[in-house]
Amino acid sequence: MAVDRPVGRRHSPAAAPPPGRWRRAALILLVPWLAAGCATFSDSMSPIERDMSAGRYDAALATLEKQSHASRDEVLYQLNKGMLLRMQGDYAASNDAFDVAKKLMSVYYATSVSETTSSFIINDATRAYAGEEFEQVLVDVYKALNYLALGTLDDARVEVLQSEVKLREVAERLKSSHYTDDALARYIAGMIYEQEGEWSDALISYRKAYEAYKKEKVYARIGIPPFLKRDLLRLTQREGLTDENEKYRKEFGIDQWTSADDLARSGEVVFILNNGLAPILREQAKSVYDPVSNIAVKIALPYYQSRPMSVARVEISAGGASAASAVVEDIDTIARDSLDAKMPAIVARAVARQVVKVLAARKAQQAAAHSSNNRDNAALAGLIVGLAMNIANVATERADTRSWTTLPREVQIARLPLAPGQYDVQAKLYDASGGLIATRTFSNLKLQAGDKNYISLSWMPSQLPEPRRSP
Amino acid sequence: MMSRTLKLLAAALLAAAVTGCGTTVTRMSSSEVVDLSGEWNDTDSRLVSEEMIQDALSRAWLETSTRQLKRPPVVIVGEVRNLSHEHINTNTFVSDLERALINSGRVEFVASKTERGGVREERKDQDINATEETRKASGREFGADFMLSGTINTIYDVEGRTQIRFYQVDLTLISMVDNRKVWIGQKKIKKEVKRASVRL
Repeated sequence: MAVDRPVGRRHSPAAAPPPGRWRRAALILLVPWLAAGCATFSDSMSPIERDMSAGRYDAALATLEKQSHASRDEVLYQLNKGMLLRMQGDYAASNDAFDVAKKLMSVYYATSVSETTSSFIINDATRAYAGEEFEQVLVDVYKALNYLALGTLDDARVEVLQSEVKLREVAERLKSSHYTDDALARYIAGMIYEQEGEWSDALISYRKAYEAYKKEKVYARIGIPPFLKRDLLRLTQREGLTDENEKYRKEFGIDQWTSADDLARSGEVVFILNNGLAPILREQAKSVYDPVSNIAVKIALPYYQSRPMSVARVEISAGGASAASAVVEDIDTIARDSLDAKMPAIVARAVARQVVKVLAARKAQQAAAHSSNNRDNAALAGLIVGLAMNIANVATERADTRSWTTLPREVQIARLPLAPGQYDVQAKLYDASGGLIATRTFSNLKLQAGDKNYISLSWMPSQLPEPRRSP
Repeated sequence: MMSRTLKLLAAALLAAAVTGCGTTVTRMSSSEVVDLSGEWNDTDSRLVSEEMIQDALSRAWLETSTRQLKRPPVVIVGEVRNLSHEHINTNTFVSDLERALINSGRVEFVASKTERGGVREERKDQDINATEETRKASGREFGADFMLSGTINTIYDVEGRTQIRFYQVDLTLISMVDNRKVWIGQKKIKKEVKRASVRL
């Protein structure tokens, strides 16, 4: 109800509503906030992933663009957008999105004072998402792959250099037994340097990939890809590093490989399979006892749920020649490893947060109980305040389930050297028991001597599991 | 009606607030140094072109080749390869250099590989559509004496939040006759970029 009053007496144009209105306004503001608190970030990806697994990338992109996202999740939005554009084959637009993500990642690299406070009071998901280290490296890798698909080798080389700076930073920051080097980034770098004719740089990158595959725990499952073995043999031979060449020959048990000169006379098809989807973070509740405050608290922790993958291997063929694929990156394992590395800190933050909240609730309950003279009223007031605080605590204690979920579960590569010419390249996708899942043909690929033609395929099973509730 | 006045006032305030959030544009001189991210920017490009122009016009190659050719040397712009850590637009300083050399009247340029495609197409079009007197025949292009090409290289050194970025731009004039390099221009730029450790 508008009340007529002389204008002169009114200082603020916004009329102060009667107290009842404030309460109602507060309630209206609170309700959607609480409701939003019930769904975690990763749940919002379900409709997008349904479209993706059905191969409807444009619909997935439309849904993603329609969904509202908080500004603190902008990095993830751009990463997912870039990935979907890439799947659509729009490599230039994909790189634009990745560029935005990269710029924001470097901004969010600095610790935010206000966000650290809010993440302590509310939860970890209130912080701006800057990307896990492996995600920051993989943006560079996918940008490089986009440029390779566009045929701009020098631009791809720029991304490779940036990924090397990033890897140096990651190794310095993480300094642990966990993921500190990225074999795929090194391998792509090696291929690009070799194509540029920078032989020694190529060899150094191949060597680093080899070391990562050999030493890093996250690559233990996949081992050294067969083409990397040949790359090392070829380049050590070309550079005249006889001892090293001998060492690799013994280690790999390979005596024949295409020489650098022969490879330069032919072209090559490099097939990249983005297989399945990266694991998705879900939330689970856990009761933890804090010995310092002597309080048992319930905290919400993230855990990774792996997604199924139907393709086990790919065979590409053209002009009577064929090549088998090999796994070069196991993102599922890397993601799990990086969460493991961070888990102690996540738990510590969650426990500290809950202990503070519980103590605050007790204090408030006591204060409310003492404030009333009537004993019954006091008990009731205490109960209500305590309940309200608990509801707020439960509603705000959420795990941070943000991650780059449109990444593949693993990456496979197949390399097929071919004489210069024009080819239709066929990719046959097989499952684990050797059954043919699908055949895809890439028509009219032109190959020049010394040139590489990069083709990509994203493949995910048609049925992805629905989000699982907390176990 | 008082409430109506209030509504108007509120609307006016809202409008003021909205315009306050709009884009602001401040014009500045192109020679003003503004470093935002630490990446390659217009200032770096300008420093390179200033150095290159001054160097290219003052070195011996110009006099020697003018004497030998008995006319100003003709140059074609080849590729300046970006081998750096950043996506750098090399056209800015190359066209600065081209312009300065042409304006000096001592060097001439022919259209580069990408530019001449359009010119040739136009010439073909003239064959059909232009009058006999104004038509320009094909096969009368001027062959360049020198090709201008170059590279941008970078070295990054990173320690924690501090980066030292070192850029080296090399431009080379190569004789089309015998591959002799007659001039190498070089500009080195070094920057220290400190990334913030704390933000709001």
